[in-house]
Amino acid sequence: MATLVRSVARNLRRNKLSSMYCPASILHSHATSFGFKDVAEEEKSKMVGNVFTSVASNYDLMNDLMSGGLHRLWKDRLVSKLSPFPGMKHLDVAGGTGDVAFRILENIKNVKRRAMQDVLDDDLIEETRIYVCDINPNMLRVGKKRAEERGFGRDKSLVWVEGDAEALSFEDNSMDGYTIAFGIRNVTHIEKALSEAYRVLKRGGRFLCLELSHVDIPIYKDLYDFYSFSVIPAVGELVTGDRESYQYLVESVRRFPPQVELGYEMTKKQFAKMIAEAGFQKVEYENLVGGVVAIHSGVKF
Amino acid sequence: MYRSAAKRLLPAFYRRHQNAISHVRILAANRHTRFMTSSATGNIPDHNPIPPPISNPADCTASSSWKEEERTHYTETDEKFSSRTKLSKAHYKDEEARVLSASLPHVIRFGWTETAMIASARDVGVSPSIVGSFPRKEAALVEYFMDECLEGLIDIIESRKDLKNLIPSERVAKLVRIRLEMQTPYISKWAQALSIQAQPLNVPTSFKQRAMLVDEIWHAVDDDANEIDWYVKRTVLGGIYSTAELYMLTDSSPDFCDTWAFLDARTKDAFDLKKTAQEAQRLAEAIGAGMGGSLQGFIKSLHGLNHVWNG
Repeated sequence: MATLVRSVARNLRRNKLSSMYCPASILHSHATSFGFKDVAEEEKSKMVGNVFTSVASNYDLMNDLMSGGLHRLWKDRLVSKLSPFPGMKHLDVAGGTGDVAFRILENIKNVKRRAMQDVLDDDLIEETRIYVCDINPNMLRVGKKRAEERGFGRDKSLVWVEGDAEALSFEDNSMDGYTIAFGIRNVTHIEKALSEAYRVLKRGGRFLCLELSHVDIPIYKDLYDFYSFSVIPAVGELVTGDRESYQYLVESVRRFPPQVELGYEMTKKQFAKMIAEAGFQKVEYENLVGGVVAIHSGVKF
Repeated sequence: MYRSAAKRLLPAFYRRHQNAISHVRILAANRHTRFMTSSATGNIPDHNPIPPPISNPADCTASSSWKEEERTHYTETDEKFSSRTKLSKAHYKDEEARVLSASLPHVIRFGWTETAMIASARDVGVSPSIVGSFPRKEAALVEYFMDECLEGLIDIIESRKDLKNLIPSERVAKLVRIRLEMQTPYISKWAQALSIQAQPLNVPTSFKQRAMLVDEIWHAVDDDANEIDWYVKRTVLGGIYSTAELYMLTDSSPDFCDTWAFLDARTKDAFDLKKTAQEAQRLAEAIGAGMGGSLQGFIKSLHGLNHVWNG
């Protein structure tokens, strides 16, 4: 059903004649994708906001269900790739509930690491700042609560900031690291988010993006499609009573990132090219779980 | 390390462009980390690096023909990025090389660790996050040091003429000694470097580097009067080098004189054995010419066994 919808939408876009039959909103503004639906740009961020407001309280549970608990390993891999160090200024965008930020902080404060370090580094640990930026205040609220549960409530290293990935409120050349885990497909203008990332990073700073992506291996792809389109929304409905949001989440993965004019889904290489065009060097990507998830990385100079 | 391989393939070309060597060295040094990165990521599935933009420093015009060759190694995607290279942005390889070379003074204090590299990144003025982008962090530092030492050794070989006056066994001993002396400032932490090189992920690269080193030394010694297999020569010298290196770790004599004595004794042994083996072979040939093929064949098989024992 979903593939039928998708192919119809693609045909509509390709066929200029049929633009007469499109809803007015698409004609007048630059359309973007909301899952498999096409919506006006201005509306996308609002609709995404609504999705996350409704899923915020159960976000962690749904992550576990959708990925079979694997999302924890993926985030662990992201943080180990980042190699955090004491005194780091790090920005985690779209990291509302704080998963990545907590892991980074724990990595830096790890006792084993401290045993190996120089005495002077103890001061540096105090200077560490992890900024968690999210556009949705509900997600931040959930994150702050989780921080307290984990014992980071009083820790001044964690700073919760409400902000938009496309217009960050941080200064130029102020961050050592930038991560965005499972958030970039929700951004309306990915190029803007990437150039903002480039702006705030210092020289030598790293950009890391963890994202679900396309699976091309034939049988694996079908199984994955079945799991995504049938199982996940059904489970979403059972657990949270909100099928629509999970339908969006699953569809947005398929459409990442939106390429309305061309009508095809972006591959990892294309995303890597976008990252390079934003100015990053040494752009690479690593596949996890046979391509279901990829970590793209780049360095700013 | 690939530069020395190329040097052997194009010796005449290389000798003619002596003045371009320093520029080539910058390019080659930059390629080291790149090739080591790609060779060591075999275990990550579908790891697919996009080649970075090439910066074209103005002083490389002297070695333009050498650059032609290097350019063929890159893929077409570089052409698309070439417009950006004209904005003089620092190439990431240069930055990485700067951070690594600045780390060496810190190694004495911190060992071959990320801490040393983080401290040096701060010195150089780059965010310490760059250390996270080195694929096998501490190994990158050790490998950089090994490459630097190899290049230093090549410089010394080319500049010093008095080495030609020595007999082969003494020349070998002298070159190994020169190379090991480069490690003396770091000898307190060298055991750590060896253990890093011995880790399974790092073994392919460290093995290649040592093979290159041994090849360079044999090339400099240039002992033509031999029928001995190239692999045997490599193995023998590799053995001499490694044992001398290990001996040096526990040597507390002034200026490592015990190590040098050990080294001289070992090279002498190796060359004596070689002579003995050659003499034995010649004797076998002489007898065989008289007695027919069967005895020669028998002695040749003994000769083969001898190599297996002593190689």
